[in-house]
Amino acid sequence: MALRPKRDFEFHDTRRDTDHESFLTHDGYRWLKIAGIASFALALAYVLIDPQPRHNGGTWYGYTLGTIGAGLIVWLSLLGVRKRYMTAARWSLKAWTSAHVYLGLALVVIGTLHTGFQLGWNVHTLAWALMLLVIASGIYGISVYATLPSALSNNRREMTRAQMVEALQAIDRQLEAAAQPLRQADSDMVLSALGQDVFAANAWQRLAGKYPRCATRRAIHSFAHVGDDDAYERVRALLGRRLAQLDQIRRQMRLKALLEVWLFIHIPATIALIAALTAHIVSVFYYWG
Amino acid sequence: MTAYLIRTIDLTATGREIVRERSIETDALTIGRAAENDLHLADLAVEQHHAVIEPAQGGHLRAHALGTLGFAHDGRVVGEASFNSQEGAELGFGSYRLTFSQDSDGLVTITQRQEAAAEDTTGSGEGFALAHALPSKRAMSWALLSAILLAFLAVPIFSHLTRERVEPDYKADGQVTMDAAWSTGKLSLAHHGLEDNCEACHVDAFVAVRDETCLACHKEVQDHALVSRQNTGRGPLPIGEQMQWAVATTFGKEGPGACTTCHSEHEGATRMPPPAQAFCAECHSGMDARLTDTKLGNASDFGDDHPEFQAMIWTERGQREPHRVSLSKKPREFHGLAFPHDTHLDPMGGVARMAASLGPRWGYGEELVCKDCHVLERDGASFKPVEMEQACEGCHSLVYDKVGPTFRTLRHGDVAQMLADLRAMDRAPRAPVVSGRARPGQFAKGRLYFSDFGRPGGSLVAINRAMAKGGVCGDCHTPTTRDGKPDVVPVNLPQQFFVHANFDHEAHEEEKCSTCHAADKSKSSSDLLIPGIAICRDCHLGEDAKKAEVPSPCAMCHTYHPIPPGKPRKDHPKVHDATLPVRFAPEKCRMGDPTPC
Repeated sequence: MALRPKRDFEFHDTRRDTDHESFLTHDGYRWLKIAGIASFALALAYVLIDPQPRHNGGTWYGYTLGTIGAGLIVWLSLLGVRKRYMTAARWSLKAWTSAHVYLGLALVVIGTLHTGFQLGWNVHTLAWALMLLVIASGIYGISVYATLPSALSNNRREMTRAQMVEALQAIDRQLEAAAQPLRQADSDMVLSALGQDVFAANAWQRLAGKYPRCATRRAIHSFAHVGDDDAYERVRALLGRRLAQLDQIRRQMRLKALLEVWLFIHIPATIALIAALTAHIVSVFYYWG
Repeated sequence: MTAYLIRTIDLTATGREIVRERSIETDALTIGRAAENDLHLADLAVEQHHAVIEPAQGGHLRAHALGTLGFAHDGRVVGEASFNSQEGAELGFGSYRLTFSQDSDGLVTITQRQEAAAEDTTGSGEGFALAHALPSKRAMSWALLSAILLAFLAVPIFSHLTRERVEPDYKADGQVTMDAAWSTGKLSLAHHGLEDNCEACHVDAFVAVRDETCLACHKEVQDHALVSRQNTGRGPLPIGEQMQWAVATTFGKEGPGACTTCHSEHEGATRMPPPAQAFCAECHSGMDARLTDTKLGNASDFGDDHPEFQAMIWTERGQREPHRVSLSKKPREFHGLAFPHDTHLDPMGGVARMAASLGPRWGYGEELVCKDCHVLERDGASFKPVEMEQACEGCHSLVYDKVGPTFRTLRHGDVAQMLADLRAMDRAPRAPVVSGRARPGQFAKGRLYFSDFGRPGGSLVAINRAMAKGGVCGDCHTPTTRDGKPDVVPVNLPQQFFVHANFDHEAHEEEKCSTCHAADKSKSSSDLLIPGIAICRDCHLGEDAKKAEVPSPCAMCHTYHPIPPGKPRKDHPKVHDATLPVRFAPEKCRMGDPTPC
């Protein structure tokens, strides 16, 4: 540092700060302030303005809120395009993401005020509900990104994912050899344990981390009281090691699933929202009152 | 002993084959997972002692399973198989394939090969990702996008554009599919029948609901006033509203006077809410400055800006038509009847005693009360016309004679008939034709065949007395002469005092009559007992009034659309009835009959 010319210092200092700054705190919560003030102002106006016969999407203020909301939704969904191009400065990707998060939260206020709290079983409320789903999944995404990566790291215990799989395969090879002397009914148990692909778990199993049909666990239970010769002892020990390794892999899968699931809602729901929004806008003007 | 050449083919990790050969001479070739078998197959799907192969007749080989598990013979799972090794065969045990062949010198060759296990995903780290267990985000997005656009946009639009145009029918279902999802809320109760018939109102795509569509059913609805006068009365709109209308008219809205401007639909399955006061105030606030010839006072809020009421009454004797007079001028009414309310309502007076003596049998209580004469209409809002026979005759009897147990009564409402009846009253005292001689027997005075042939001089006196003040007619009626004959002036009791507003008495049943009508203090029938605006304002103030017990928009009393003649309706004032001169002829005058009687 001491060797660095002074004129470089400020540049590097800024860059270093930028590197360590979360998109949530970007630029001194610039977008939180903007979104907060905008939401408050729009909500205040909603209370002060008294349209006839009542607030809904069809009053002049309703159309204003609707236009702002629709514009925001389109802009927010463009993050998917924007994130593929990294730039610096005010409209850096980080700034964009920060604005995405806080303006997205402001959309709860804007979109809900636009409804005038008139909800029903129709395409208009579908659009509103999808909007809330997208926002809720986004909030979930941010919260799990704040908490889960450390848990994910702890669970790895200095192993890479490939190493976890390697370890399981090594156990499996030993198990296959060790099970050779077993009676057929017992070797079938081992075989079904070996045949069960740990990665065949469905989304729900991954998220819940519960595997009631785990063949390895079932084999351990069935071997608890049969055969006390060396071969059975070895198989029992190997099955125990296999289950421990499975547990680690499954915990890893669960944490990853919890970390990734929000995008499987956020992205398709965003696209569904754009479809419902289109249907909402077109239908309102198609059947105009 | 049969000789077998066992050729074992293993694959290295790189896919290279390692071939080992050994010879066995045995009668029974054993196959299984156990190491002591001739063919040792290290696969957990193979039993310890799975099968045995023995020579059979005709150079055949026979394989049969030892345990419960079978094996595959040329792809089919069997428990026993016999085959000619010269022709070749393949037996499958677990993941192992045994291929049999026989060369020219009779040596049976068995080629043992393990099939490669199916490629699993465990080799890479991909399996950890949730994407491994879910359809791709892109696929889900496309599916949802197409489903929503199809169901909520394409289907309704297509069926709307291709429908057959029919006259709107309140009871019929619509033809457009899936447009229920477009409804922003339930229709009002009056329009409930159109709930599943959106296109009845939303006729053309991207065109707002037009007046002509509403008028297709509401044929009787008339304009509030001439459209040119409405536009003058409204005056120029504020800039903000002008901008809104500029946008709205682009999408087919018709302008500030259109039906949908005041009547909003899809606000829930209730009665359609009355239009807000602001819609009326738009024109009626300060209207006299714009519509200079108007007779209407300015009104924008019942509490703050509303003129004193004007009653439609007769004020002069001989007046042919009623006219509207502001209550602020304290007008006196002339309806042709003498009726002091205070005398009739005095609980200590003679009328009260009379009512008590008639009693409940005749519908009276301890004293005379308002409802003894003023009976509510079935609609609860207004009153039936006061009928002399019902309301007055209980005390003010028109009986003029008694024959045996039967009373003879003058016919009310027909002066000529009354005169004729009195003239013909043959029991009236007359001068005898011949004086000084009584008629004999039954023909004598008071006997059955008595008859009086003298001039009815006494009757004429009675007639004169009847019409005079205090007489049977003149007690209540104002006497006059018409075409030289005695008569009474027409009775003009308005059925409705307010022409442009409706008052619902039933809605005020918690109140006493005397709260608004000072009848018990009224000594003269010329007192107009209609309350002024100040009394209403005790409870009613404008739509937004916070202090008022009942915040009251214009539509609480006023109706916007004129009612066609002869169509009195419960929720509208019977304005036209009040403009008709009501003469007292109850057998002719009935509510709802607009012809003058």
